[in-house]
Amino acid sequence: MAEISMRNIVKRYGDGYPAVNDISLDIADGEFMILVGPSGCGKSTLLRMIVGLEDITSGEMYIGGKLVNDKAPRDRNLAMVFQNYALYPHLTVFENIAFPLRLSGKLSDAEIRSRVEDAARTLELQEHLDRKPANLSGGQRQRVAMGRAIVRQADAFLFDEPLSNLDAKLRGQMRTEILRLQRRLGVTTVYVTHDQTEAMTLGDRVAVLKKGVLQQVASPRELYENPVNLFVAGFIGSPPMNFVPARIQGDQLELPFVSVPLRPEWEHLGGGDTVFIAGIRPGSFEDATLVDAVKAGRGATFAVDVDVTEWMGNEQYAFVPYDAPADISAQLARLANDLDSEHLRTQICVELDPASQVAPGSRADIWLDTSRIHLFDPRTGENLTRTASAAATA
Amino acid sequence: MSARSTRWWTIAGLVIVVYSFFPLLWMIMLAFKPASDIVSGKPQFLPTSWTFDNFTEVFGQPLFTRALINSIGIALIATFLSVIIAMFAAYAIARLDFPGKKVLLSLALAIAMFPQAALVGPLFNMWRNLGIYDTWIGLIIPYMTFALPLSIWTLSAFFRQIPWEMEHAAQVDGATSWQAFRKVIVPLAAPGVFTTAILTFFFCWNDFLFAISLTSTDNARTVPAALAFFQGASYFQSAVPYIMAASVVVTIPVVILVLVFQRRIVAGLTSGAVKG
Repeated sequence: MAEISMRNIVKRYGDGYPAVNDISLDIADGEFMILVGPSGCGKSTLLRMIVGLEDITSGEMYIGGKLVNDKAPRDRNLAMVFQNYALYPHLTVFENIAFPLRLSGKLSDAEIRSRVEDAARTLELQEHLDRKPANLSGGQRQRVAMGRAIVRQADAFLFDEPLSNLDAKLRGQMRTEILRLQRRLGVTTVYVTHDQTEAMTLGDRVAVLKKGVLQQVASPRELYENPVNLFVAGFIGSPPMNFVPARIQGDQLELPFVSVPLRPEWEHLGGGDTVFIAGIRPGSFEDATLVDAVKAGRGATFAVDVDVTEWMGNEQYAFVPYDAPADISAQLARLANDLDSEHLRTQICVELDPASQVAPGSRADIWLDTSRIHLFDPRTGENLTRTASAAATA
Repeated sequence: MSARSTRWWTIAGLVIVVYSFFPLLWMIMLAFKPASDIVSGKPQFLPTSWTFDNFTEVFGQPLFTRALINSIGIALIATFLSVIIAMFAAYAIARLDFPGKKVLLSLALAIAMFPQAALVGPLFNMWRNLGIYDTWIGLIIPYMTFALPLSIWTLSAFFRQIPWEMEHAAQVDGATSWQAFRKVIVPLAAPGVFTTAILTFFFCWNDFLFAISLTSTDNARTVPAALAFFQGASYFQSAVPYIMAASVVVTIPVVILVLVFQRRIVAGLTSGAVKG
């Protein structure tokens, strides 16, 4: 058990490109920390620097209060689960799990046996101990890789996208298993993923990275409700947050499809033709016919043309195209590029109750919860409406 | 594929098998023939009577038994050293990025392509001056030199196939670089190591050029060279059956090696290491 702290960690490759740029992060003892971001954001590099497989260009890495910059991986006492599991194919499952114990050379055979069997019991691998990894299913291999990690008393667990090779159903199961295991063992865990479901469900805190720069470290709820900037707002949440141009005109905030009265918390933003990017989560909308009168009063209702709808059973999404000015459109395209997605058309995604009868190609009344609108600076991408209290605790 | 073309393939295959096996079979038949069959006016494929006399005769000659010991000793030592050196070199080439890596590999290839016959003359003089002419070490050195390039190429290809993660995992699990190499990389590269070892062994075992040029007595003469010195039991008898018997004897280890290690040579040991 140990806390991990990073001070101004930089990783610069031979061509001078900083894969990880000036990251400072404290991971408390027993905390489950998620590193998340689109591909190429440096999250895996950061993890490999923690475990010692990558050199640290500059900055300091402390594990359990000790500086580990120049320590070899084997002297750091960390356990890692690799994306492709990296099991030893010439050894049985038992020997795979026992491998780190045998290397330590301090344990008797009986002790090794009992500890491997303990780990196998935890992961329900008892009946597979004599098999070779080649004869195991993907999920079983994944569990063997975890067994190898938990069998020794490591100071921290490091996971490098451990579930990305599993199919969707198994991934959900294993996710819960990892969470249960971590809660039971209470070991500091750093978990790299690009899957935001894993990020939201597993982490005590989530660190969002973009091009090697740390954007925000916060609880999943905080990230979702109070993102610091456009990037975090667009990355966290599925379907992603809608971004539309907004303009303050007098006491109204003008959106492409509706004008809403200015809320008190927006007044400091100033008025008179200032252009913003408004971020609205699909869940902040609703079919106006299904909103009760009390709630309806707290938001704004407007009519739009619904292009297509997607009915998912437990929810329903409607897509509404709109026209955006060229400069906003360019900004959104740039953001989409950062997020590893493609900017196809300016449209908003609206989450409706599955019972809603809104038909594709028709005009529908949509209700919007105006209290959940975020306003971003179109140049810096900074969130101008983060609530002060939340910002203070972050 | 139609039945017709399948039949043609079978016939073509049979032709190739007969073509390549006939000399071998002829050699075996000759080895079992009594001396009278060789000189009779009507040569025939099968011996008139099967006899082991030729074998007892060659094993009775110190020329052959001594050569057999030389062959086994020299081939084993040269193979062992060459595989060990090649393993380290290939691992470094596969894993490390050092300046001159490409040059090193090209040089190795150049050595492999260099005509050996051109080296025999100078080597003969050098070895005599150094005093290692007609010794085991005098043959082991050229064998190693010419076997190394191919061994390094084959082994580095094998090492490259092993995912880096294997080693990283071992290091995180607490292994030193040496432990990771010995406990993870070498077992995974075992098929490659065996293949290389067998190829090197065959090269040393079968070599005639160096063996005949760099030896002069029983001291280091290997079997392929010794065969040339065989004589019949008397001046009037042909040496052919004895030579053939000796040839059969030296072919046996080659056949056994291939049969025993056939399975080890088969790659695919790494399956299951990573997500398949």
